[in-house]
Amino acid sequence: MATVAGTLAQPTHTGVWSWITTVDHKRIGVLYGVSGFSFFLWGGLLALLMRTQLAVPNGTVIESDRFSQLFTMHALTMIFLAIMPMGAGFFNYMIPLMIGARDVAFPRLNALSYWTFLGGASILSLSFFFEAPGGGWFNYAPLSERPYSDGSGIDFYVVGLLTLGLSSLMAALNFAVTIINLRAPGMTMMRMPVFVWMTFVISVLLILALPPLTVGLIQLLFDRQFGTHFFIATEGGDPLLWQHIFWVFGHPEVYILILPAMGIVSEVLPTFSRKPLFGYPAVVFSGIAIAVLSWVVWSHHMFTTGMGSVPRAVFAVNTMIIGVPTGIKVFNWLATLYGGSIRFTTAMYFAVAFIATFTIGGISGVMHASPPVDSQHQDTYFVVAHLHYVLFGGAIMGIFAGIYYWFPKMTGRFLSEALGRWHFWLLFIGMNMTFFPMHFLGIAGMPRRIYTYDDGLDWGFWNMFATIGSYVIAVSLLIFLVNFFRSVRQEPTAEANPWNAPTLEWGTSSPPPEHDFDAIYTVRARDPLWYDRDHGIAPPEVTGEHIHMPPPSYYPILIAIGITLLGVGALSHLAVSALGGVIAYYGVWGWALEPTD
Amino acid sequence: MAHAPAVAHGGGHTTSTGTENRKLLMWIFLGSECLFFGSLIATYLVFKHQVIERGIGPFPVDVTIDGVSHHGILDIPLTSTSTFVLLMSSVTMVLAVYGAQHARMKMMKLGLLATMVLGLTFLGFQVYEFRTFGHEGLNLTTNLFGATFFVLTGFHGTHVGVGVLYLGSMLAASFRRNGLGRDTGAHVEIAGLYWHFVDIVWIVIFTVLYLIP
Amino acid sequence: MAHSAEPMEQQHGLSPMQYLAIGAGLTLITIVELWVSYSGLGSLQIPLLLFLSAIKFAVVVGWFMHLRFDHRLLTQVFAASLTLAILITIVLLTLYWSADADSIRGYREWLASG
Repeated sequence: MATVAGTLAQPTHTGVWSWITTVDHKRIGVLYGVSGFSFFLWGGLLALLMRTQLAVPNGTVIESDRFSQLFTMHALTMIFLAIMPMGAGFFNYMIPLMIGARDVAFPRLNALSYWTFLGGASILSLSFFFEAPGGGWFNYAPLSERPYSDGSGIDFYVVGLLTLGLSSLMAALNFAVTIINLRAPGMTMMRMPVFVWMTFVISVLLILALPPLTVGLIQLLFDRQFGTHFFIATEGGDPLLWQHIFWVFGHPEVYILILPAMGIVSEVLPTFSRKPLFGYPAVVFSGIAIAVLSWVVWSHHMFTTGMGSVPRAVFAVNTMIIGVPTGIKVFNWLATLYGGSIRFTTAMYFAVAFIATFTIGGISGVMHASPPVDSQHQDTYFVVAHLHYVLFGGAIMGIFAGIYYWFPKMTGRFLSEALGRWHFWLLFIGMNMTFFPMHFLGIAGMPRRIYTYDDGLDWGFWNMFATIGSYVIAVSLLIFLVNFFRSVRQEPTAEANPWNAPTLEWGTSSPPPEHDFDAIYTVRARDPLWYDRDHGIAPPEVTGEHIHMPPPSYYPILIAIGITLLGVGALSHLAVSALGGVIAYYGVWGWALEPTD
Repeated sequence: MAHAPAVAHGGGHTTSTGTENRKLLMWIFLGSECLFFGSLIATYLVFKHQVIERGIGPFPVDVTIDGVSHHGILDIPLTSTSTFVLLMSSVTMVLAVYGAQHARMKMMKLGLLATMVLGLTFLGFQVYEFRTFGHEGLNLTTNLFGATFFVLTGFHGTHVGVGVLYLGSMLAASFRRNGLGRDTGAHVEIAGLYWHFVDIVWIVIFTVLYLIP
Repeated sequence: MAHSAEPMEQQHGLSPMQYLAIGAGLTLITIVELWVSYSGLGSLQIPLLLFLSAIKFAVVVGWFMHLRFDHRLLTQVFAASLTLAILITIVLLTLYWSADADSIRGYREWLASG
């Protein structure tokens, strides 16, 4: 119990047990962020292996089955274990601070989401010790069916994603309720920072998009374990149904990956341009429009499956329309820079680079919105180039902008700007070296997912070029790690608002106390700290009242262990599942009866 | 769930919108469940006609293929009875919520108990139906009707089972010295939302699977 | 009846007798549904069945789940999700059932022929 009467001094919890039982959104945010970044490095290592294999024609580093596992696990790791959790790390840490609250709506549920994520991530990653899934991240049927993939790889995929989906669903429910219900006085929806808005949009997308994926995975599980034929054409099933179900989830998922970065950039650009975000309502509503439209574009992943000309035309038009709100955002960011008093910090470098590289990915995206063009690009490296410009040039650039921007808030320390420049320029150059030539390779006809290629196809030069680029990226990440570990060892020097930023998270100390705010802000305008500064309004007075914080709890991790065992049981023996169910049920009882105040 | 001034205290007045956090959570979750059952029902409908075209029975409704007539396997009178049972469980549930919100503990406990019994009865009907279909040669692997039917109604049944466990746990907890605590009304109401949702899913399934030929 | 310490929003709602009456009404609609399904009304049958079950759905959601008396936000949340679920189902079925789906059938036959 962390209630301290009459004083705001907080006991500092330390030790492993305090992290295991924590329900503090900031600590859970750190857990998400550190896990996500570790998986990012792991996924990057897998990519380096693939690039090494592809550097020269007829490479012999990796054989074909292992290569399939590598590209599958690279995608799954980057999407579900790196970008989503790193986004979740920022949501957890920043959302309560940005809306002026003291925690999320359901602190224990928040912890449960994290530990369930870790369980699902372990299932997925430990598959390397048995057999990793090799069917691509979209795992098309019938390749994923028992007759064609007899090993346990696909089962790891199914169980891992089901567990991760449950974790994401719980987190999304929590954040939707938090943002709707826990805003500080005066924080209307249209005064929320754009990052909070984007988190809200993503939560809604996750809540609605995960169930179709769950259904598809369950059907695949039944096909593989209980002999149904949902996706086997020879038995009356339909492999295309998997594609439909998967992309009904998969396309919103793409925006789930990119919208956090858009939110981060919408915070970083105004702060370092020292002027408010240009066209705030337009940025918010285009975010919402992207989310709505993301539901009616899924079949553009399936233009070459013979859907017929009318569906193709409809989905092509929808896909082109979704470029409009995206374009609106890009122009608003540019207009935010225009006339601003710009400070080029490392965070700002990443945010500006985000605009450029993301736009390249966006433009190649509109190219494949056209079915005839898509038929040429389908399954070539052009698509690989496109998706990496959006996810690396977009999501990862945005996440790095967020790391440099919020690092002082989270740790009280600054990352070195000098090393930051090295990190940025090497990453930027390496990223473009790696992925830009893939456009050429794709148009030259190089298919995705091949483990090697023959000499004489003229693909050798650009492949070698891309491989060199990928090593440049690796070097830049090493520099970042050095920067990180050097910074965390320094004395904390960051004051509450070192960047002179406008949003509420900068209105408390760096790092914030356990209860976030000594006194709750009253929000009077969209950029509250700037408004208060310009109107001479002092920060809210500390009243010395009781601040109740939820006590730590070990039930979240217990339930998460139960859920993970449920999944492990599906891969091994039903008794393990039964044990997991009992543990989870026991945990729910303890959770329900545990006093929280 | 009580912490800071800006954070809800379980009641309805300290949140930004005035809606209680847990109730809002449950409603959003039920929204998510709509997509879950929507996807399952859509899968059923996608395969419904293809099963008959393919001609490997048993079929849900009476069909004649190549001059041979096949008897439809769905037993509408039986399922109407179980539908009625589930519908009545919604009535007892709403009475339990009424009892919980008006401090009539006996009414609440009886309501919860009756709801559980009716829920278990519904599950009994479902087990009987599944067994009968099994004897008539329909299982998960027979054809896509079997696969879609068992997965859809099976997952609905699982939801009923989870609901029975949920209500049973709540009933057991209500016998503790201080019962369900000061939020009794909210706790039972939220459990009720879940239970009613399972009922409305069945309303849709009953119409789409059984009644529409 | 007994007073409750619950917030205002939960004191709305109906009396037990009214809930029982609604239950009876729902049973009645179910009986009508049964009659319709056996009646052979032709092209009217399916729309009528869908309409009747929609009424049952709305009554349970509106009164048993208190949506009629609760915060509007809850109605919006649920209605939006339900609309999306129905929309996606319709789009998916249209993709399968449209005339263009001939090409899907052709593809499936091609797959089935090995």
